[in-house]
Amino acid sequence: MKLYRIALRNIKRNKRRSILSGTAIVIAAFTIVFMFSLEGGMMQDMRNNIFHYITGNIRIRNSAYTEYESLNPLNLRIKNYRSVIEKCRAYSNVLAVSPRIRFYTSIYRNDKDYRGIGLGLDFNLEKDFQNFGENLVKGRLPAPGKREIILSSGLAKEMGVGTGDKITMLSRNMYMGMSGMTFKITGIVRFKVESFNKSFFYMPIDTAQRFLKMDNSATEILLLLKDVSRLKETVSGIKKLLADSGQPLEVVPWTSIGTWYSIIRMADVMYQIIALIFFILGSTVIINTTMMVIYERMREIGTMSAMGMTGSEIVGLFFLESFFISLISALTGVILGVGIILPLTVTGLDLSAYMQGINFDISTVLHPQLDMRSTVLVFFYAVAVSSFASFIPSRRAARIEPVEALRAL
Amino acid sequence: MNKYVIRNVLLLLFLPLIPVQHVFARNLTGEEIIKKMEANQVQKSARLEGVFIITDKFGERKKTFKLVSLGTDRTLLEFTNPEEAGQKILRAGDEIYLYFPEAEDVIHLKGSALRDSVLGSDFSYEDLTGEKGLLDIYDVEAEGMETVNGRECYTLKLTAKNRKAVYPGEKLWVDSELFVLRKAYYYALSGRLIKEMEIRKVIKVKGKNIPVWFVMEDRMKKDSRTTFIINNIQIDVPVDPGIFSLEELSW
Repeated sequence: MKLYRIALRNIKRNKRRSILSGTAIVIAAFTIVFMFSLEGGMMQDMRNNIFHYITGNIRIRNSAYTEYESLNPLNLRIKNYRSVIEKCRAYSNVLAVSPRIRFYTSIYRNDKDYRGIGLGLDFNLEKDFQNFGENLVKGRLPAPGKREIILSSGLAKEMGVGTGDKITMLSRNMYMGMSGMTFKITGIVRFKVESFNKSFFYMPIDTAQRFLKMDNSATEILLLLKDVSRLKETVSGIKKLLADSGQPLEVVPWTSIGTWYSIIRMADVMYQIIALIFFILGSTVIINTTMMVIYERMREIGTMSAMGMTGSEIVGLFFLESFFISLISALTGVILGVGIILPLTVTGLDLSAYMQGINFDISTVLHPQLDMRSTVLVFFYAVAVSSFASFIPSRRAARIEPVEALRAL
Repeated sequence: MNKYVIRNVLLLLFLPLIPVQHVFARNLTGEEIIKKMEANQVQKSARLEGVFIITDKFGERKKTFKLVSLGTDRTLLEFTNPEEAGQKILRAGDEIYLYFPEAEDVIHLKGSALRDSVLGSDFSYEDLTGEKGLLDIYDVEAEGMETVNGRECYTLKLTAKNRKAVYPGEKLWVDSELFVLRKAYYYALSGRLIKEMEIRKVIKVKGKNIPVWFVMEDRMKKDSRTTFIINNIQIDVPVDPGIFSLEELSW
């Protein structure tokens, strides 16, 4: 009888043993696929949030602004920002632009004061960055030129205000003096990134210019690129385009802005270590199960040996048994993982209940990313580990004298 | 307390110097020197115009203003430079209120907001508050005599009696002839120097000696200095008490 037939018969003969052995492999393969996808989603989410909320792929500022950023130096601004935007748009790899004015305020309401971070935005251009339309939970966007603002949900809750209410705020203006103005709240916005729902509020850029006495200026312009892999080349191109703007401007890729790139790289390494730990854990489960299943069959091995089966045949038999079980189980685990992950890539995994108060730039709804390369790798890895794990005990068992093997418990 | 000094100085406090008596006060106690200095600071009322010149790493900015005061506890300051035109600061006792033409509410500054800088200058709103005398807030010790800008001055060490004082410690240089403040150091609880003020010019109005040129440096800010200059001052003139009300402020 051929070995593979005996192997298949052995698998069928003791179904409970085969199912238990296979289940360990299914769980290990599923867990690894799921964790890889979840980590891939987290990394992608973090990158997206940094690009869309904070740095863009490229950021343009007055070249002295960043040095004094902690002082909120509105005087170190991008003058005539519209012409800068038009020049950037003319560059072929630029997908979207967003001018912003970032400023810090004290907000007064009912004799109490609160601290807020303001962003003056062009809401039309901002659509490609922070999606206000999708995240506005109440009211409407502020109208250009009007003294209207929208508040992040956390800030609104902290102050106990809602749409239709008015708040007065003070901020340092471009002349380093103080400006005060009263605004009507037209909407409440709640982003998927919890850290942006705390102190932020948003107003039309022309309203911010009037409030802060900044005429036709912005503190920064963010760019999103069509092809991010051409980042360096695009930075050089934009620099050349803006060289004759008549003002000192810095054009910086997101990889050089603050610690964002380092955070991403650190998170990437961290996630890879976590993935490796899961890989090792999964392998341990597979190896343990496979070896135990063989060791408990010592008497059976002794019988086969006594009936004339050679050592290499015994090793081959157990290898084939493990191979068939792991093939089916790894496939089941991977299919199960893909089956669960695929819908989640669309609907997302809502972690909002667990991320309250967490000040990290990851969305409360995570969209796992299925990486086909790593999924296929997991399948082959699980099969290989399980199959080769059978070698050690079966080779040892094959060397034992039949009488000794028959005495084994 | 130095807030007291600054307020009086800054808000014109017209340290009117009582006709300079030739008090050879070299043997005066610290308390006596303070009393003489404060006696010079009481004005019935005043109107003045002046300018803050704020110098920092971003350059120099001028903020012009006009100011009206009544007694020691009511002051109304209105900025007249184009960027902040119409903004007002009302001080009524220890309370500070801000008015902005484009704000519907009058802002009552309280708590940590009082430590904010006035128009980015080296003065904080807290420096403008307080109406108690120095002796109510500080224990005073006369340390000796020193010369400041060619003027002989008493040096006084002030230690806060409690934690309510804006500055836990101060060192004052008081002109031994005119009994006006010439220089002041303001210290944190740790003993670190926080602010430094110097009076560069004193003029005589209606027989009183009034400081009109102050330089304040906030040592917590790098390369920062604020010069406060009074260009035009009238003292003991009629002032309508009604202008110091919140209702009038928002008109």
